[in-house]
Amino acid sequence: MSANPHEVLGARPGQAACLLGNVAIVRGALEAGVQFFSCYPGTPSSEVGDTFARIAREAGVLFEYSVNEKIAVEIAFAASLAGARSMCSMKHLGLNYAGDPVSTLPYVGVEGGMVIVSAGDPSVITSPNEQDQRHFSRFLFYPVFDPATPRDALEMTRFAFDLSEKTRLPVLMRPTTRVSHISGMVDPGPLPEARNEIKFEKNPPRYVPIPMNARRMRKELTERFALAESLLAASEFYPRTGEGSYGIIASGVAHTYVQEVIRDLGIQDRVSLLQIGAYPVPETLLAGFLKSVDSVLVVEELTPFVEDRVIRSAFENRRIIPVHGKHTGHFPLEFEYDLEKVEDAVRKELDLEERKRASVKIPDLPPRPPVLCPGCPHRTSFYLARKVFGKKTVYHNDIGCYTLGYGPPLETCDVLLCMGSSISQASGMARTTGKRTVAFIGDSTFFHSGLPALANAVKSDDPVTVIILNNHITAMTGFQPSVAAGGLSLEDAVRGLGVREIHSVNQFETERTLEALKKARDGQGLNVVILGAPCVVNETRLGIHEKGEPYTVDPDICNACSLCVRVLGCPAIHVEEEHYTIDRNLCDGCALCVEVCNQEAIRRDDAHE
Amino acid sequence: MNRQRDKSGLRIHIVGTGGQGLILTARLLTRFFVQSGRHVLCSQLHGMAQRGGSVQSTVMIDCGDCPVMRAGGADVILGLEPVETARALTYISSKTLVFMNTVPIIPYILSQQYVLGKKGAKYPDLEELKGAIRAVTPELYTLNATERARKAGAIKALNMVMLGCLLGTGYLPCTVEEFLDSLKVAAPPEMAEINSRAFSSGVEFGRKVVGSSR
Repeated sequence: MSANPHEVLGARPGQAACLLGNVAIVRGALEAGVQFFSCYPGTPSSEVGDTFARIAREAGVLFEYSVNEKIAVEIAFAASLAGARSMCSMKHLGLNYAGDPVSTLPYVGVEGGMVIVSAGDPSVITSPNEQDQRHFSRFLFYPVFDPATPRDALEMTRFAFDLSEKTRLPVLMRPTTRVSHISGMVDPGPLPEARNEIKFEKNPPRYVPIPMNARRMRKELTERFALAESLLAASEFYPRTGEGSYGIIASGVAHTYVQEVIRDLGIQDRVSLLQIGAYPVPETLLAGFLKSVDSVLVVEELTPFVEDRVIRSAFENRRIIPVHGKHTGHFPLEFEYDLEKVEDAVRKELDLEERKRASVKIPDLPPRPPVLCPGCPHRTSFYLARKVFGKKTVYHNDIGCYTLGYGPPLETCDVLLCMGSSISQASGMARTTGKRTVAFIGDSTFFHSGLPALANAVKSDDPVTVIILNNHITAMTGFQPSVAAGGLSLEDAVRGLGVREIHSVNQFETERTLEALKKARDGQGLNVVILGAPCVVNETRLGIHEKGEPYTVDPDICNACSLCVRVLGCPAIHVEEEHYTIDRNLCDGCALCVEVCNQEAIRRDDAHE
Repeated sequence: MNRQRDKSGLRIHIVGTGGQGLILTARLLTRFFVQSGRHVLCSQLHGMAQRGGSVQSTVMIDCGDCPVMRAGGADVILGLEPVETARALTYISSKTLVFMNTVPIIPYILSQQYVLGKKGAKYPDLEELKGAIRAVTPELYTLNATERARKAGAIKALNMVMLGCLLGTGYLPCTVEEFLDSLKVAAPPEMAEINSRAFSSGVEFGRKVVGSSR
């Protein structure tokens, strides 16, 4: 979904363009003269990095896919100290992983402007949780931008670099899915002629937060954060429309929902709408708005962050008017909003009649849950591992396509927490229960955060089998290269950490793999099995995958025992009324079903024609 | 734009499964109308599925900045697959024009449910799906777009047939020829002729539909 380079670099000032929200962020950064970029991919942030990957050379931007988000932040921070305008991007959870550098970064401060993009996922569409990164503004002194549209995303990003340099604070750009993944109209500005000079002058008291310096920094931080608030107060990111007595304060994409509802209900004359585009929300702005209206409805997704701020301001200004939002039940505390939720709340606020909605009867429809692709090496790994380790072994899984080991038929995901946790969880469970446990982890996730967990496991030598699914790519987030593909050897890394028992095989060599897994099962303490077949979809993309001849089911031999469907979950195998078939367009020819079928009913398609 | 129900623009909702070329279809529409000077929004929602998952995209022309539709908010639905078209019922009102390809992509999960003995685990009856949609809008038009694409030279030109249907209605603020020209520029050369044939086949269907409804 990343843009073509021309779309980002070739956009002309004065000529409207339609950019994906994430691509608009890249354009904003380019217009601000960004010089350094790092990221770890994660939905819905990935297109920021993927777009930079495609244009970095032409745009003269230093670029890397970092091994994890913590490193992405640290490396962009150092680039900023050397004077460069720097940016790094990640999903909301990545910001937590980078929490350590992120916490102290505002203390030490930046030189070249630094913007951290952390995309949020309200409604938990592609993540294990939803969270509100706006709290980083009060929590750790970050100015935070909250775009409602791709246009906002571009303009806020451009402004954010200046704000960062003037306050020496790193700035957080927080789009959500419906900003990141929407293509919308933007007004591109010019690309700069000059960029920051690169130089680093040593000044340890300025850059080393040992306690005696950190106390001074903490004091300065209060001043710098106050400066950010006053610079934001003079910005254009709090537009107000209307002069009516009903106040509505909205942030993020929900602001566009309110605009739509106001237009639809024709209540422009009765309401005043204030958009909150950045935090900390300037007190002068809120005080002025509260004075001009008789009530306030706050429309924001995730937590009542602005709502709490409005209540404080109303109290401090002795402006005791109704403030409605999540606390008053006008809006739910969970998940994204939609036009219906916003319309209902606005009607309630203005005492308008409830809208009667025609109820549409939707028939029972089969869902299409995500499933491992035909020919996916993970399916083979899971099938073989289950065969050796059995039903009762506890399988700890990790973050990646292979999370699809969850549920029937593969049933190789009993516990899941976060990136890299499989190995530590397996240790904890094995030590507590005294039974061998299995951890599955992909190559990208292993280097992201599995390495320290494996070092920990070596130290304790718990009876754990770590199965590294090395498909050479970060497949789930859009095929970003993993460091394992860059020549870094997984085997060497594992051996270097001190693991004594290592088995490395290609899982499509099933006999050898079964043998390796059995040795691991019967071994003592920690061992590691590396399964090295590459991602078929990526290899197909690159034009280097040799798809095998498709297979077919011989209807004369097939006794409809259902085993293949029950244990493999391959989308190429169909069953209808006891009739088993293989879709030759979907079949990748991996032959795992041939291995499974004990009737020998599955054959090469050509043999049957 | 004679299709729009109020002053608030045109909303085209495209639904199908991963691999049907749906995102590209939305992009072609988006690019064309941006170049025509319109205010365009395009939302894309695709879950974790690589292939075979539900995919939906909405192209909104002159609709402001709100990227989501209200219930019943679609002016036109292009349904590349029957179950996915029925899934879009939330966005269908009595004024929505629906084009639906009649060729199903069977969800893999049905095979799984079947062997695990789940009752009723089969692809819904096509007539039932049509009935559910007709209960909401009289303007449901179904066609075997996959077969039309095959005849044009490639099944993957299915999206072009559906686009053709939309253009054939004359509801878009442009002529068929203008749009076809933009397609020729966008497609890889080996697909250009096939796309053009598939598109024309859809246009023919779209024109017929409009003729019959007036």
